[in-house]
Amino acid sequence: MKKRGKGIGSIFYGTGYGNGFPDVSNAIAELLPDGKVAIYVGATEVGQGAKTILSQIAAEVLGIPLQQILFVCEDTATTPDAGTAAASRQTYNTGNAIKIASENLREEIYRLAVEHLKINSKVGLKMADGKVYLNSFPSLAVTFKEIADTFSKQNKRKTLRVEGSFTALTTKMDEETGQGAPYWPYTFSVYGVEVEVDTETGLVEITKAVCAQDVGRAINPKLVEGQIDGGFAMGVGYTIFEDLGLQKGEMKNRRFSNYLIPTALDIPELEKIIIESPEETAPYGAKGIGEPVMIGVAPAILNAIYDAVGVRMTEIPVTPEKLLKAINKAEE
Amino acid sequence: MKFKTVGHSEVRVDAMAKVIGEATYPEDFYMKDMLWGKTLRSTKAHAHVNLDTQDAEKMEGVIKVFTYRDVPDNHHGVVLKDHEVFCSKKVRRIGDPLAFVVAISNKIAEKALKTIKVEYNEIPAIFDPVEAMMKDAPLVHENHKSNIIFHYKLRRGNIEEAFKKCAVIIEKQYKCGMVDHGFLQPEAGLAYMDGDTVVVCAATQYPHFDQLEVAEALHISQEKVRIINPAVGGAFGGREDITMQVHLALATKVLGRPIKTVYSREESFLAHSKRHPMVMTYKTGADANGKLLAMEAELVGDTGAYASWAINVMRKAGVHATGPYEIPNVKVDSYAVYTNNPFAGAMRGFGATQVPIAHEQQMDMIAEELDIDPITIRLINGFTLGSTTATGQVLSDSVPLKECIEAVENSLGIKNHYEEKMEELAMEAGVGI
Repeated sequence: MKKRGKGIGSIFYGTGYGNGFPDVSNAIAELLPDGKVAIYVGATEVGQGAKTILSQIAAEVLGIPLQQILFVCEDTATTPDAGTAAASRQTYNTGNAIKIASENLREEIYRLAVEHLKINSKVGLKMADGKVYLNSFPSLAVTFKEIADTFSKQNKRKTLRVEGSFTALTTKMDEETGQGAPYWPYTFSVYGVEVEVDTETGLVEITKAVCAQDVGRAINPKLVEGQIDGGFAMGVGYTIFEDLGLQKGEMKNRRFSNYLIPTALDIPELEKIIIESPEETAPYGAKGIGEPVMIGVAPAILNAIYDAVGVRMTEIPVTPEKLLKAINKAEE
Repeated sequence: MKFKTVGHSEVRVDAMAKVIGEATYPEDFYMKDMLWGKTLRSTKAHAHVNLDTQDAEKMEGVIKVFTYRDVPDNHHGVVLKDHEVFCSKKVRRIGDPLAFVVAISNKIAEKALKTIKVEYNEIPAIFDPVEAMMKDAPLVHENHKSNIIFHYKLRRGNIEEAFKKCAVIIEKQYKCGMVDHGFLQPEAGLAYMDGDTVVVCAATQYPHFDQLEVAEALHISQEKVRIINPAVGGAFGGREDITMQVHLALATKVLGRPIKTVYSREESFLAHSKRHPMVMTYKTGADANGKLLAMEAELVGDTGAYASWAINVMRKAGVHATGPYEIPNVKVDSYAVYTNNPFAGAMRGFGATQVPIAHEQQMDMIAEELDIDPITIRLINGFTLGSTTATGQVLSDSVPLKECIEAVENSLGIKNHYEEKMEELAMEAGVGI
C-alpha cells in the first residue's frame, strides 16, 4: 500500500569559523587603464556562484555594469587571502571586504574626479555607467577611463589600487559553560515535504517539497534558487540513499555504481520561497546560504515518513530495507 | 532602496565557459616534459608498516618513488597537524598515503605501484566511536592519551529542576552515517617549478591555506609557493584538507620537472574527508502548553583516523543542538573521537546538519504527545528578534524564522493535514465504542 505523509524541518545556522577565531577576508579593487574595475580576492568559486555575486557587489558600489568587473580569484600570486570557501562565509565576509574595497576605490575616484573637473567639492558627485558626473549639472562629467589615464600619467604608469578588509565579530565561548556569541549572522531555513511510502517495498518517494529560505537579501535570486535545488538534492541523498557501506574501516561503496546519489528522477518539483530580512552588518544585507539550504531536508523527510507510516526512523540513511523492517516491526 | 545589479538574477559570469567546455579544470593542464605520479595507499585500517620500493625504483620509466623519508616536515592538517604526508611507521585508516611513484607515463607509474612490497603488522583497531571513548580502547594516535580529542560543554540554567516541571519528556537516540561529498570532479593536479617557486595547480577551497601547508611540509618560505586554483568541480567541504598538493610540490621540487596526477573516482573516495557520523542522545521536555523547558543532549562524532575539522564541527553541532528554539535550560556534551574509520572533516552544514535529525523529530514527538500540530509547536518556541540562544547570544537582527515557517505552512498545509488526521484517528477509535 502507498501511504502519504507531510513533514517539516526548521533550522538555524551560524555563519563563519566562529568562536572568536580571526575570520578575515581581504580584497583589492583596481581601476584598470580601460576604465574597467578588477577585483582581486582569494575566494574560491566552487560552483556556488561566488564570482558572480561578489562581482555584483562591486558593480553596485561603483555604479558600473557587471560586465565591467574583472574578477580574479584563482592565484595566490595575485590575490590576497580571503579565507576559505566554506562555513557559508564568502557572501558575508568576502562580500563585506569587497564592498569596503569598492567603496574605498569609489572615494579615490571621486577625489581624482574633483581634481579632473576642477570643482571645489565632491558633494553632489554621482557615479553611473563608468562615469562620474555632477548631479546638478550632468554634462560636467569624467569617465573612469579618463581618471585611470590621468592617474597613470601622474604616478609612473601605475594603476589605482585600494584594499578592503573585513573581520567578522564572534567571541570565544567559555570553556566550562559554552556561553558566548560564537557565530554571526544566523541564517534560517524551513523545509516542508510530502512523501509517499510504499509499505510493501519500503521505498520513499518525495512527491512535493517547499523551501522557505532566509537570505538576508538575495544578491542574485536565481543563484539562490540554484543553491536551494542543489542543497535539497544533497539532503535527499543524505536521508534516503547515501551509504558508504563501512565495514571495519573499509568503504564497500566507493564508486557511483554502488554509492547511490539522487538523480533528477528522484527530485520532485521544489517550490522555492526567498524570505528577505536584510542583516545590518552584511553587504547589502545578504547572508550566506550555501549550507543552510541543505540542512532542513533530512528532518522534514523523517517527519513526513512518520506521518505516512507511523514509524520513527532514528537512523539515516533510511534505506528501503531499514524502513520495511521498521514498518513490519511496528505492525507486529 | 533601488539597486542596479544587486537583487537581479544576472547570468553567472562563469556560465558560458562551463557550458561550452572552455573552463579549465586541473585535469586539463598538460606541460612539456611532464611526468606522472601515482599514490600508494594503505589497504589496512591499523597496522605498522614497512615498505620495500627497490623493485619499483628499478623499473624502466620510473623516475623516483617518494616516501616519508623525502618529506622535510612530514605533517599537515587544518587544525591539528596529525596527518603524515606519507605514513612513516603506521597506518591509521584504509587509504592512508604511503608513497608517490613518479614515472614517465601514467601506465608505468600504475604498474610500479604494484611492485612495491608493503609489510603490514596489524594491530587492534577501533571502529565504533562510543567504544573508542572507553579507557582500554586501542589508541589511534599514541601521542594522545585518549581517542577523545575534544569535548564541548554547553550549560545553561538547571535541567534537573526544569525536567521536574515538564508535562512531557521525550528521550531518544539518533544515528547518522558517514557520507561523501560526491562532487563531480575527482581530484587532479599539476605542479611545476617557476624559477625557485613551486607552483601547484589543484582544485581547492582555500588556496592561501594550501600555500601555507605546502610551504611547511617542504620547509620553504610561503613566498616560494604559488597555488593556482582553476575551475573547481564542486567541493562541499571535501577540498578543505589537502590531498595531493604536497605530493606534487615535493616531486616537482626534487625532480625539477612538471608532475601531474589524476585520481579515479575510487581514489577520490579514499583520499578526501567525509561527513562525521554521529550518535546523538536527546532528552527534551516541555510544559503542557508546548513551551520547551529543558533539553539535554550528548553528541559523539566519529572523526575517523584524523582530526581535520572535528573540533570545529563538534563545536558547531553543540551550539546548534537545540535547533532554532528558545530553551531556558540546556546541557550539551559534544565529543570528537578518533577511530580507524575514514577521516571525517568539513561537509556542507559542518555538524549543524546532523543535529536537526534529532531535534526536529523530538519537536514532533513532543507536539504529538500534547496534541499540538507541528507548525504551532515551532511557532510557540521558535527564535524571534531579541531571542536568546542556548549560548546566551542575543539575536539582535534579521530573525525571520517565523516567516519561513508560515511560508511553508501556506504552501503545504501541514496544520490542516494534521487536524484532519487527528479527526480520522478519533473516528476510527470511536467505531468500536
